[in-house]
Amino acid sequence: MSLQELETQLRPIFLAALAGDAAAYRLFLDTISLRLRGYLRQMLARAGRTEASEAEDVLQETLLALHLSRHTYDAASPVTAWAHAIARYKLVDHLRRSGRHVGALPLEDEAHQLAGPPESAAVDARLDLARAMEALPERTRRLIDQVKLQGTSVADAATAAGMTETAAKVAIHRGLQAMAQFLSKRRKQP
Amino acid sequence: MQTDDLISLMSMDSRPVDTGWLRRTTWLSAFAALAATAGLVLLTLGTRPDLASAWTTLPVIAKAAFGASVAAIALVLFQNSLRPGLKPARRLPLVALPLLAAAGWALLTLAQAPAEQWHALIFGRYWRACLIAVPLYALLPLVVLLLLARRGAPVDSALTGACAGLASAGLATIAYSLHCPDDTAPFLATWYTIATAIMTALGALILPRFLRW
Repeated sequence: MSLQELETQLRPIFLAALAGDAAAYRLFLDTISLRLRGYLRQMLARAGRTEASEAEDVLQETLLALHLSRHTYDAASPVTAWAHAIARYKLVDHLRRSGRHVGALPLEDEAHQLAGPPESAAVDARLDLARAMEALPERTRRLIDQVKLQGTSVADAATAAGMTETAAKVAIHRGLQAMAQFLSKRRKQP
Repeated sequence: MQTDDLISLMSMDSRPVDTGWLRRTTWLSAFAALAATAGLVLLTLGTRPDLASAWTTLPVIAKAAFGASVAAIALVLFQNSLRPGLKPARRLPLVALPLLAAAGWALLTLAQAPAEQWHALIFGRYWRACLIAVPLYALLPLVVLLLLARRGAPVDSALTGACAGLASAGLATIAYSLHCPDDTAPFLATWYTIATAIMTALGALILPRFLRW
């Protein structure tokens, strides 16, 4: 698949997601995460890091950043370039933080790599996000556990956690913000 | 947590997203910061005594236009620099246009004047005041733009900082033109350009510390 084809496939889906279509958003996240996983594994391998769990960590951090930065997407620009730039920022940051200098990374890698072979096999991430979860309030954590068990309906998870659906949505949003914040704070004090 | 769980969680948080917010807020904050800075200049220094008659003259308009064009170009790039995937760095040289226009006008003025007047034309009466006041007043819009930048996703924070510095210097130039009594083109091209360069460097060096995400 060429980058152009990927863009043609993803753009309408992402625009629908920005309009509030949850199913389209899910499809976008599923598709882009396969591409980003391939990209991150490839780039980390070039930097001499071959552990798949490390790529999964950076992928999760990138997905959180994509989610919380949706308002920065410029509707006139390619969505692949937007996603790639965010992944690249998180990757460079990860390498810097973990003490390897970024020299091994090609400075001008382009979004083409997103069009490389998709990596579907998710592996267990290391502990980063699990630790971020521990920093959340108890109620939010229970809610998120419900989401993991019950599948995809907010309503079911909300009932099981003893919340209204609106409160559950707000809690999920705050929870995601808190996790992203936890990950970037940890970065400042390695 | 598995990546799939994270994706489920994020798709539950799906809601309509306003991608125009950053653009609108950038312009609104810039206007608000300009009004506040102008108010601060009036409050602390007051207008130049002859503003009522001078504000329609070419030098005063030129100072404001110089500041406005630097600020407008820098604000467009600043706003773009908060959106990953755009490459506003390529258009950064555009900011040189108003600076070069001012420099050209200054050289023309000097060429037409006798050499013994050059010193007065360049240094004017209050060059130190300009060099101190413009960067000082520019701190207000700079802080406003910094707070705004934290709401975006700057992938090149030095560029974002430089654009914020440029824009804040441009806005402070407009505000300070209400007070600045020196009206020659060489004065404008020298001291306002140096003040702009100071703010650009300051923005590029300091802001990245506050822009990690």
